[in-house]
Amino acid sequence: MPTRVTLRLIYVSLLLFAAGVPAARAAETPAGAMTERHRVFLETNCLGCHGPEKQKGKFRVDELPLAMADLPTAERWQKILNALNSGEMPPEDETQPAPEAKANFLDDLSHAMVAARQRLGDQKGVIALRRLNRREYANTLRDLLGVHVDVSALPADTGGPNFDTVGANLFVNGNQFEIYEALAHEALEEAFNAATAAPTAKKFRHETEKTHPTFLKRNRDSLDAVDRANRWIKAVDDAAALPENAALVAKLREIAATDDALRYHWQKIPGAPSAKTFGFNAEAEANPAIIYRTRDRTEFVRYDEYYLQLPALDRGTYLTMPGGYGGTGFTADQGLAIPKDFAPGDYVVRICAGAAPGAPAERRYLEFGLKGFAGAGPGTPALSTHHLTGTIEAPDVIKIPFTFTRQSAERNHRNLFIRERGVLDGDRIQQQIRAAIARNGHGPDVAIWIDWIEIERVPVSPETMAPGLRALDLPLVAQAEDIPPAKLRGAFAQFAQEAFRGVPATDASLDRLVRLYDSRRASGGTHRDALKQALAAVLSSPRFLYRAEPEAGTARRSLDGLELATRLSYFLWGSPPDHTLRDLAAAGKLRQPEILATEADRLLDHPRSVHFVRPFLGQWLTLDRLDLFQFNRKLYPKFDDSVKSAARQEVYETFAALLRDNGRLGELLGADHVVINALLADYYGIPGVTGDAFRKVPLPAGSPRGGLLGMAAVMAMGSNGQHTNPVERGAWVLRKLLHEPPPPAPANVPELARLGAQLLTARERLHLHQQEPQCANCHRKIDPIGFGLENFDAVGQWRTTDTYQARDEAGKPLPNAQKTWTIDAGGALHKGPAFRDYFELRSIIAARQENFARGFASALIEYALGRPCGFSDEPLIASIVAQAGTKSFATRDFIHALIRSKEFSSK
Amino acid sequence: MNAHRSRRHFLRTGTALIALPMFESLGFRRFASAAPAPVAAARPKRMVFLGFGWGVTEQSWFPDVAQKGADYTLPSGLAPLARHKSDFTIVQGLVNKDVSGGHSGSTFWLTGANEFGEPGQSFHNTISVDQVAADTLGKETRFDSLILDCGAAANASGHGQGLSLSWDARGKPMSGPKTPVEAFHRLFAQDSTPIEAQKTMLRQRRSVLDNARESARELQRQLGKTDNAKLDEYFQGIRDIETRLSRDERWLGAPRPAPGLAEPQSSLAGYEEIELMYDIMIAALRTDSTRVLSYRQPVSTLLTSLDVRIDAHTMSHYLGKGPEYLEASEKRDRAQSELLAGFLDKLKATAEPDGSSLFDHTTVVYGSNIRTGHNLDSCPTLLAGRGAGLRLGHNLVVSKDTPLCNAWLTLLRGSGVAVERHGDSSGTIPLLLA
Repeated sequence: MPTRVTLRLIYVSLLLFAAGVPAARAAETPAGAMTERHRVFLETNCLGCHGPEKQKGKFRVDELPLAMADLPTAERWQKILNALNSGEMPPEDETQPAPEAKANFLDDLSHAMVAARQRLGDQKGVIALRRLNRREYANTLRDLLGVHVDVSALPADTGGPNFDTVGANLFVNGNQFEIYEALAHEALEEAFNAATAAPTAKKFRHETEKTHPTFLKRNRDSLDAVDRANRWIKAVDDAAALPENAALVAKLREIAATDDALRYHWQKIPGAPSAKTFGFNAEAEANPAIIYRTRDRTEFVRYDEYYLQLPALDRGTYLTMPGGYGGTGFTADQGLAIPKDFAPGDYVVRICAGAAPGAPAERRYLEFGLKGFAGAGPGTPALSTHHLTGTIEAPDVIKIPFTFTRQSAERNHRNLFIRERGVLDGDRIQQQIRAAIARNGHGPDVAIWIDWIEIERVPVSPETMAPGLRALDLPLVAQAEDIPPAKLRGAFAQFAQEAFRGVPATDASLDRLVRLYDSRRASGGTHRDALKQALAAVLSSPRFLYRAEPEAGTARRSLDGLELATRLSYFLWGSPPDHTLRDLAAAGKLRQPEILATEADRLLDHPRSVHFVRPFLGQWLTLDRLDLFQFNRKLYPKFDDSVKSAARQEVYETFAALLRDNGRLGELLGADHVVINALLADYYGIPGVTGDAFRKVPLPAGSPRGGLLGMAAVMAMGSNGQHTNPVERGAWVLRKLLHEPPPPAPANVPELARLGAQLLTARERLHLHQQEPQCANCHRKIDPIGFGLENFDAVGQWRTTDTYQARDEAGKPLPNAQKTWTIDAGGALHKGPAFRDYFELRSIIAARQENFARGFASALIEYALGRPCGFSDEPLIASIVAQAGTKSFATRDFIHALIRSKEFSSK
Repeated sequence: MNAHRSRRHFLRTGTALIALPMFESLGFRRFASAAPAPVAAARPKRMVFLGFGWGVTEQSWFPDVAQKGADYTLPSGLAPLARHKSDFTIVQGLVNKDVSGGHSGSTFWLTGANEFGEPGQSFHNTISVDQVAADTLGKETRFDSLILDCGAAANASGHGQGLSLSWDARGKPMSGPKTPVEAFHRLFAQDSTPIEAQKTMLRQRRSVLDNARESARELQRQLGKTDNAKLDEYFQGIRDIETRLSRDERWLGAPRPAPGLAEPQSSLAGYEEIELMYDIMIAALRTDSTRVLSYRQPVSTLLTSLDVRIDAHTMSHYLGKGPEYLEASEKRDRAQSELLAGFLDKLKATAEPDGSSLFDHTTVVYGSNIRTGHNLDSCPTLLAGRGAGLRLGHNLVVSKDTPLCNAWLTLLRGSGVAVERHGDSSGTIPLLLA
């Protein structure tokens, strides 16, 4: 398969908004300042025109302060940076600086500029008032009312340069207040319905063989039609072959060269019967093409014949390949329609299934999901993928928790589906079908047998009633007896305190709520309407939407217990504090360091910590890049949606395992094990792993896996879905692993000409980066690392060769212009050690784990405190790293050190 | 109000539950007279801003700078606009000099602000030109402006930070409908609630907003200066809604106009989505529901809908890559030009009451802060429409380093918006005017 290495010239993938905070640059360049050495560069190259004498463009370099201590100075340096990057200066007819000197100058200036921008923009530890971001808001409503609402109408709060927890970037604008109010009504409606629904058990099982009669009839009809077509054709041919018709047929042959064409004239041939006598209709009689099409479906016949002789059809069905492929195509996705009387809520779905005899290991997976507008087709991603370990005789029962939302119910999206893994998310189906027919004559063999599918309601009991509703303690029906004002007010007080994370509502605000309720009743609203109106006001009030930390004077103060509880739980759960935390806060105990640490451990050990692991890691490591492009399924058939999702999950699970065991953070840079499930084990070629659960699996010696660099997700996001992207990978390693982020992609650097027709290796192509100083100043650091990772293809599989196919202007491959070479991953870090291959590069990076630890600490600070990590945080970073370092960078210790810090517990 | 019904409205539109059923209309009948009387005199000016993120293909979108004036060869990237050649102008050489981020095609496009312009803040922006226009041009319509966006697709489309092309007077991002369905409902959703009931609802809305403001005031008293600056956004949000309520009150009883197009389907993405948004924009102008529109168009999904499998960012760096990247980039240009040509067709075909066309009173701005790749000099700028007295049919090349905001200022003044300056403008550009 031809692989073209993309030549990414200058600056290609230095994502401007990459999250993360550059370290203060060590050594020669102080943060945000240039040095005397740089002044020499300016004097040599610029002073002639931009000095005291000429002052061209009213721009002088001799008066320019070296430290970019204010905005005007920074702007003037920015001008110099821009002019050098665009090649505008020095002018073409002037002496040019030596490339190396220019590259070095640009290197220092671009980093000094980043540092100056940061320093000038430093919030100096001030945390802007934090609104609940979209996911925290959804989590909070869920905890309070026990319902899942679709919050997609709100801004996502992600996609900026910072984490989605950073208060300064969390705006409220336009009709957002109304959206909050609408979502509050929505959530309350759903919660009230759930609370008032009769607690009856709901369970429904679908035996898949029930679809067989329909299927069998279609199948038999189809076989019968082929048979009838062949019989009619034979009858016409027999008539045409009669000796007495020879002359006539010879004449007809003049206008109808083929047998098929001849039969169009069947009416002229004595003895040829009408197709109607073989059960075809008038349309087919008039147009035998219809009959021919039926005849030509022999592949279907063979497949149907194959399918019907399979075992256990009386008890279940098999999942087949989709794609207009004969009568059996409709069992490609089996399913279950959630009965009309099943209300939204939490359910469990069970699937009884087994692998068909001889099913290959990689096909023993099924995907589960809910059909949306796009049916079960490519537009509908699966909710989960499951490994089958059982057989038809001893099937598995897979248990899947499933939330049936009100939105789905209202849109009448009630059809659950199961399908074979990967069959509907790519374009390789026809390819597979053709290959299978060539191999076995009938088409793809079945791999999965389904016995039954069932859905059962998770019972709601008073104990599991959501805290918001429990606090309310009022009737939730439309018609209620008049409620005494004091009781109403008390209920509002309880509810508001719950919603405000333990902070009581003011008397004045309770009075207003009662007035809202009364006025709604007075204008004809029911008790339920009026109640929702008042509670929605609580849920769209600033006390609920913002995590307010009142200020006393200008001095920094310590957080009170409840504030600390709130900060802790949104950090580690993305959700409000539970009653245990609030009780400790109320009792004044939470601020005791040992209790705070115990609570942090409790939160981290709770399943809810997934709301920390995923958003933190996803944003820190920019995993959303995996969704930026489509992976080419023709080139990479194994990297289907299920694998992609499992690959992403591996990143989370690996980190979660480190947190759970308080493992060394450095294991993310290299480890002797991986944390995978059966699906990924199959993808990585690691034997002996079964089931969907992720667990630690030891690696054989010499494995490229282990640590972030060996993960399919990390390597895949360093591609564009077709080809690897060494620049993206190199820049990512600098940003995330080495904590030496390259400056943002500079604007206006002239791009080099196209090289599409030249036959060069990837390395030769990239080497062109280094010819221009504007490119070299960053790419000499980025590219060697990217090349060190070239043994991983665009989907993170190991490879040893790469190929380039040259093409002409029209994109056609040029003849004899293909080049294949053995990948040489060797190189050297800029001003750093050399490495012979990926393994040595990995060791060099792993040895710099302190840089990694600093980057991790800065990311944690920004995420947890909700403000950019700036220069004023250097001591905090150092302290966290030192505290974690005493136990070899134990992962959980970073979190403990941050929580212990003064910054975490002060306003 | 029937709560169940309103929820459905909410679900279908994805916008405010309360807003829709409450403000929407009643049918024609006698209430129509409650609406502001149509202005009989000169037709109002309109402005439309269309932003497409990742720039254009350098060599096949820009006309030859040597062929200045009306007699220039239309490059292939603009070829689908050939039938309008005498009705639009390409301006070359405009720049937002304070913008340095190579991935922000829209963040500062209409504002000209310096991201680092405010000490102690890591991000800074100022009001966008459409909102300046809306202040003056938006007074008499149901919506002072309509801000359209492409939702999640914006992330991979080279627009940069922001929630749309529009930024408010305090430099905060503004948002609006993100799909044709939402936009359609925002403009045209009908409601048959009796007028008295609507009045009651308006009163209730006010009391809900009063309560929210009171709650915010209680909190305000406890917060420090920085936090209050943030809480101010909440107050402003409430004020904005109140302003809209007052506007709605003025329009109470005036029926929503007939949209003249069918309710959109929800699943459109890319090419068809943009086409439909354009149709809705035409409908918004035709019905005089608003006179200022901005639309942050999708690029990533546009590529997908054109069957291009290359991601948008990689496509934008077609130089130095294989021909398939250049091909993707040019395909994108042609598709965008085709869509724009269709939009201009409809502007021309839509008659105004005085017999002129919408095109005669509208200014269409089409472009990006990114030229190509990470290049921010000579932002691609296409201007069309006779609303601002522009010189049309020309390939104009302005002197080097002319602020993009000078063009915006020229358009504002030409549209009757009397402002001194905009962004980093240093004056108007007489060359742009007929």
